Amino acid sequence: MGETYQEGAGADFDLSQFYQIFFEEAGENLDQMEHMLLDLDLEKADDEELNGIFRCAHSIKGGAATFGFSDVAELTHQMESLLDRLRRHELQPIPQMVDVLLESADASRSLLARHQAGAQDEAPSTASLVRRISELAAGMVPAQGASVEPPKPQSPPPPPPPPAMQAPSPVLAVAAPAPSGARRLEVRIGPLDRVEQAEAIKELFRDIPGLGTIGDLPCDDAQMRLFAVETSSTDSDLLDLFAFHVSKEQVRITAAAGSAGGAEDAQGDAEVAVVPPGEAYGFFSNAPGAPAPEAVAQAQALQAIEPASVVTRIVPKASAEAKAGSQAQMESTTIRVDVKKVDQLINLVGELVITQAMLAQNSLGLDSAEHQQLLAGLADLDRNTRDLQESVMSIRMIPMSIVFSRFPRMLRDLANKLGKKVEMVTLGEATELDKGLVEKITDPLTHLVRNSGDHGIELPAERLAKGKPEHGTITLSASHQGGSIVIEVKDDGRGLSREKILNKARERGMDVSDQMSDADVWQLIFAPGFSTAEVVTDVSGRGVGMDVVKRNIAALNGTVEVDSSEGYGTKVSVRLPLTLAIMDGMSVGVGEEVYILPLSSVVESFQVNAEDVNTVAQGSQLVKVRDEYMPVIALEKIFQVPRFDLDKSSTIMVVVEAEGNRVALLVDELLGQHQVVVKNLESNYRKVPNVSGATILGDGRVALILDIGGLVRRARH
Amino acid sequence: MQSILAVDDSPSMRKMVSFTLSGAGYHVVEAVDGQDALEKAQSHAIDLVLADQNMPRLDGIGLTRKLREDPKFKTIPILILTTESSDQMKQAGRAAGATGWLVKPFDPNRLIEVIKKVIR
Repeated sequence: MGETYQEGAGADFDLSQFYQIFFEEAGENLDQMEHMLLDLDLEKADDEELNGIFRCAHSIKGGAATFGFSDVAELTHQMESLLDRLRRHELQPIPQMVDVLLESADASRSLLARHQAGAQDEAPSTASLVRRISELAAGMVPAQGASVEPPKPQSPPPPPPPPAMQAPSPVLAVAAPAPSGARRLEVRIGPLDRVEQAEAIKELFRDIPGLGTIGDLPCDDAQMRLFAVETSSTDSDLLDLFAFHVSKEQVRITAAAGSAGGAEDAQGDAEVAVVPPGEAYGFFSNAPGAPAPEAVAQAQALQAIEPASVVTRIVPKASAEAKAGSQAQMESTTIRVDVKKVDQLINLVGELVITQAMLAQNSLGLDSAEHQQLLAGLADLDRNTRDLQESVMSIRMIPMSIVFSRFPRMLRDLANKLGKKVEMVTLGEATELDKGLVEKITDPLTHLVRNSGDHGIELPAERLAKGKPEHGTITLSASHQGGSIVIEVKDDGRGLSREKILNKARERGMDVSDQMSDADVWQLIFAPGFSTAEVVTDVSGRGVGMDVVKRNIAALNGTVEVDSSEGYGTKVSVRLPLTLAIMDGMSVGVGEEVYILPLSSVVESFQVNAEDVNTVAQGSQLVKVRDEYMPVIALEKIFQVPRFDLDKSSTIMVVVEAEGNRVALLVDELLGQHQVVVKNLESNYRKVPNVSGATILGDGRVALILDIGGLVRRARH
Repeated sequence: MQSILAVDDSPSMRKMVSFTLSGAGYHVVEAVDGQDALEKAQSHAIDLVLADQNMPRLDGIGLTRKLREDPKFKTIPILILTTESSDQMKQAGRAAGATGWLVKPFDPNRLIEVIKKVIR
């Protein structure tokens, strides 16, 4: 990586240490650009919006060029050129531009991902994107101004194109005829380690219409390449372009012999200091701080002398304008921290919580008069630990907007493909959720949103016929409700058809009746394999892979509910715990052991009567709860809990639900409900069947957290 | 030690510039855009300003203009980093009172070379 620019950088500087930060930054810029492009109102595009989009491309280009990712730099350079013309109002934005810019953003993303992964193989070509962008950038150019640059005050007004501008004889024209005002130049590239590098220069002329023509000239030096170029671009523009492939020092541009147009930049503007070709910086004459000719030598001499010490005054200053939402402000008030560090911190706080609980438990028997100070200290510790835990957990919390922001783009593409009109509304994007959960909820949500767009929203004509607005609306919302977050995907489409779902269920031999409540009917779409085209509509159906969605959400201790009204739309609500690191649990005792059940899966508990339990084949038992039979799982048998008190037998049952199925767990006692700090058993020990994790109780004992999904599956098969 | 105010909205460019200049023995104050730079310039002793041209809120040329209005910054060198070395940019830079410009991408050695020419 970074081979292109490192050569010139010298051995002292290893730019690769900045790659990671650049990748993150470029990713953010691409996200932001995409977001702004999607929000762009083509009819009356706001200057600030266009500038913002331009800046994103510009930043990526600058970084990519600096860190040597020339493919990304080249693509973003093209995007920038188009955006530059847009923000200067030289072009009117049209949908095709948004399309190609979005595609280019995607392409940049994948190129960056390749660099990040250190891929060595052939990169996917962006030539066609580059061509499309430059066509759009050039397509609406007024007849005589092919250059992206506005006309220069000093250069003569470009004459109408001469009928045929003959290139020097050995020239092999590879591009469109040079535009008006063309100059004939000789470009010498080298010395190069691999002369093929110069081929990329020729491709520039092929890819950028209006740049001009290029052809090979014979060259006697094996490390050099000589080209004849006809162009109306300035030398510095050419240098900027060439710099994507070769270093500027390796380029020499001279006027071709007998050419009328010279290398005009060498003359420059009278106001501006002369920049020799290939020079990448300059000073304004007589400008404040500009070096006098001899100052350069002086400055170098100064280096030998010990540098004068300058005392830095740091005056603390309250930020005058703490504008929330301002990108710049965010930059200066946030830090990037490795997730591992945060996790370690959370882990340590978890340990602290456990220690605190142990101390609290052990102090219960102490005399409060005798140990007043100790107990007061413990009470403080309790409060502080809880606050600390809360603050630390909040570090891992990220806003739902991270997930929501990907959907407008997805829906736009989907709607385009299906010929539908869909509008997306998002609510509560600021609602925060644990990072781990955000990552895991993204796929199921994507599925739900796609389902809504694909199967829920009708075609515009169909909507109009039903008296609905042509545009379908999909509303994504997130909100906190107690210790959970509720995410809703709502559409105003055709809704679920109760009749068709029931018919389909009967076909599949499922036990259904017409008396079932709507809620129960909607739950049927979560049955495994309940995903056929004719479920809901004649074209295709909701329910595609809904069982997978439900399983994934259940794995996060979450639940899914569907509400629908035929003809009016569907709402899918996903309820998730705020974090995976802490869980509301119900502790139950079996023999001497304590087990934790996730509270979200507990339905009810009751004292069982012997006559309600029936033993069926192979000793398995069923219990009748309000006319419903469900399998009984005796935890003592599953975990082979040793029993010292042989006379006692379990009489308490806890009904738990997972994946739409219920089982009754037979336990000895219900101990209580509390928050537990979840410890991953897999990473500390190994995977244990029927167990999803472990926690440490107040008295220091380890309690296993049961995997309800696993237990239910076990009982059902 | 001389202090350089490095102004760029891109964190990676800022880090790169800051790393390069610190390595060359300068104290570097970072600012995320022109507006931020104006505030930082007031609260730090600055010997040179190195500013990106294209930034949100206040760009490099705007920053130069504002700094030059303050007698304290009348004479310190201000260099503009730009990807476009067009005459138009140069004119604007000169009019605002910039000392010079440096074209991006540049390599770290080049940056130090240019800085050494103007810092005193």
